[in-house]
Amino acid sequence: MIRHDPNQQEISFEALDPKRIRIEGARKQALEQGQTRLLVIGVMCCLAFVVLGARLVDLTRHGKDGVAKWHAWTAAQSKPNVVARGEVHDRNGNILAITLPTQSLFINPKEIRSALTGAEAADRLLTVLTDLNRKALIKKIEGRGHFVWLARNLTPEQVWDVNKLGLPGFKFRNEERRVYPHGATFAHVVGYTEVNGRGIAGAELEFENVLGSQGTDVDLSVDLRVQAILHEELIKAQEEFNAKGSAGVVMDVNTGEILAMASLPDYDPNIPRQSKGSPGFNRATLGVYEMGSTFKLFTTATALDTGTVSLTDGYDATDPIKIARFTISDYHGKKRWLSVPEILTYSSNIGTAKMAIDMGKEKQKEYLSRFGLLKASQVELPEVGSPLFPSRWGDISTMTISYGHGIAVSPLQIATGVSAVVNGGVMRQPTVMKVNEKNRTEGQRVLKPETSFAMRALMRKVVRDGTGSHADIKGYLVGGKTGTADKQVAGRYDKKALVSSFVGVFPMTNPRFVVLVMLDEPQGNKATYGYATGGWVASPAVGRVIERMGPIFGIVPDAALPEDEIKIGHPMYLPEPEKSGRTAMLQGGVTHAAY
Amino acid sequence: MTVSTTARAGVNKTTAKRSSFLRHTTALFLILAGGLAVVLFSVKYQVHDLETEHQRLVSELDDERRALHVLRAEWANLNDPIRIQALAEHYLGMGPMRPLQVMSVSGVQDIPLRLMAEPFDGEVVNDTP
Repeated sequence: MIRHDPNQQEISFEALDPKRIRIEGARKQALEQGQTRLLVIGVMCCLAFVVLGARLVDLTRHGKDGVAKWHAWTAAQSKPNVVARGEVHDRNGNILAITLPTQSLFINPKEIRSALTGAEAADRLLTVLTDLNRKALIKKIEGRGHFVWLARNLTPEQVWDVNKLGLPGFKFRNEERRVYPHGATFAHVVGYTEVNGRGIAGAELEFENVLGSQGTDVDLSVDLRVQAILHEELIKAQEEFNAKGSAGVVMDVNTGEILAMASLPDYDPNIPRQSKGSPGFNRATLGVYEMGSTFKLFTTATALDTGTVSLTDGYDATDPIKIARFTISDYHGKKRWLSVPEILTYSSNIGTAKMAIDMGKEKQKEYLSRFGLLKASQVELPEVGSPLFPSRWGDISTMTISYGHGIAVSPLQIATGVSAVVNGGVMRQPTVMKVNEKNRTEGQRVLKPETSFAMRALMRKVVRDGTGSHADIKGYLVGGKTGTADKQVAGRYDKKALVSSFVGVFPMTNPRFVVLVMLDEPQGNKATYGYATGGWVASPAVGRVIERMGPIFGIVPDAALPEDEIKIGHPMYLPEPEKSGRTAMLQGGVTHAAY
Repeated sequence: MTVSTTARAGVNKTTAKRSSFLRHTTALFLILAGGLAVVLFSVKYQVHDLETEHQRLVSELDDERRALHVLRAEWANLNDPIRIQALAEHYLGMGPMRPLQVMSVSGVQDIPLRLMAEPFDGEVVNDTP
């Protein structure tokens, strides 16, 4: 029973406020301790929530790995690239290769057959896609499997039409297709891709990593306008002289950039199967040819640079050189003593061979390798041919190589070497990549500047007075050198099968571009009096290319009159030869050339 | 339990204050929580709407980008120099520029000036040498 203490006041329930209850003794102590603990725990909980809150804000702002989730989300939502593969551009940003998103039609035969017969479905589809084969179509629809391709890469209109038919079981899958807007014009530079979109030739293969894996665009050094000109003129020349093939290169002599490069026959990269066989062969970089007299430029440059001859020296070219079972003679011999400028101008094999013997094979080899003619070109293309030359380099080799026989190099190598000859004597590797401030190379000095200046005047004389006169166009000072070589057919030289070329440079007072055209087995015609030599078939084409591309680059015509060129003080002036001359002595042990 | 009321008179005042404070804070927090809930609710829906709008814009952007991409390819196709040359020759009678048609800026100054056709009365026209 509860005993009521009379001293104790009655307390109403409402007044039973815990604060008004005083607890004493051990109980009070225990209660206070509990309250303190509770407070500590409470504070700790609050702190924990503050930490959690801070982390929440942090995660929202900066994400798990330092990247905000919504950033990644936005990026995933909106791809900056419409397609996976990068584009190929020319030096001015014109598109040379681009991937287009397309749709391809496939069917699930079972689904179709549940609604229509094969013939019905085929007939209805044929009202839209008229170029499909009806029999093959019915066979596909009535065949087995769940997935059969019917038509690849349809246009948006075709997709719309097929969808409008409302046929069951006809479905589309997104695909990508590589498109080359300029077709065959850039065939050998840009190359092409296989059906799955991987590059298998040209820049498409070379830059597969950048274009395919990274999906980045590639800027090439080529110029759409120059390429179109070169391609067109090459086609004209090839058709005019009924040549088997041809190649052309336009190069910036000061940077090594390839502005245009073409090889005929070529193919439309939009139709890869055209590239089978000869059209897929890049004659400008992969093909190696005995280029003939264009090599005389390198021989003369070497002889001048090593001090073997001066511009006023010369050699007797009256009689052919007879050595072992070979005879070296001139095509249109002057049969007299020729000065060094005359040897080049009239393209004398005898004079050049004597000059080469005079300077020796060691110097010849050293300089040819400086010009990059003894190893494969370093251009960024998968199709690069290695030069061919004799392993035993005897006196006969020295003589024949001096005028471009017994050594086979690619036309691109000639263009690169000639660039170094005329640009002041600095060798730069050829490139198909656009050169800018970042990737500009210093190059290697291979000739004294004076030698290069002399070579400019010599090359100008070849066009002014010599074999390259068909490239002498009004307005620009063009220089160059013709080259005509007999082709080896079944181990013998065939006088009817020629490789005729011309390498031109302009403007000669301050060279900017080298233009090379080579024709493989051209046939002379009435207009050329039956001649199929470089001077008759290749140099007019080079002249036309220069005539058309010069104004594009805003090159102002040379103000000086033609007769000024031979006056003292003009950069193209060549000193009169002293009729004394030099005599080349053949060394005692004559070794045979390898071929 | 022993409840003492000896200090009651002194405590009474502060307890009353405290209890009213407690009641007020509770009410305050309730209002705050309610307000926050409303704000949160509206922000959530705002975010939802924005997300929908964002998604729409992104897909629109993708469509535009796609169209732009295809149009660029078409432009490249139309910009083919061979095609333009053929059109220029056919419709405009133009041909390739000749080297002698190019002139430097200093060269332009060498072009002799033509005499004005009808000089104004009394005005002296200097003939340029």
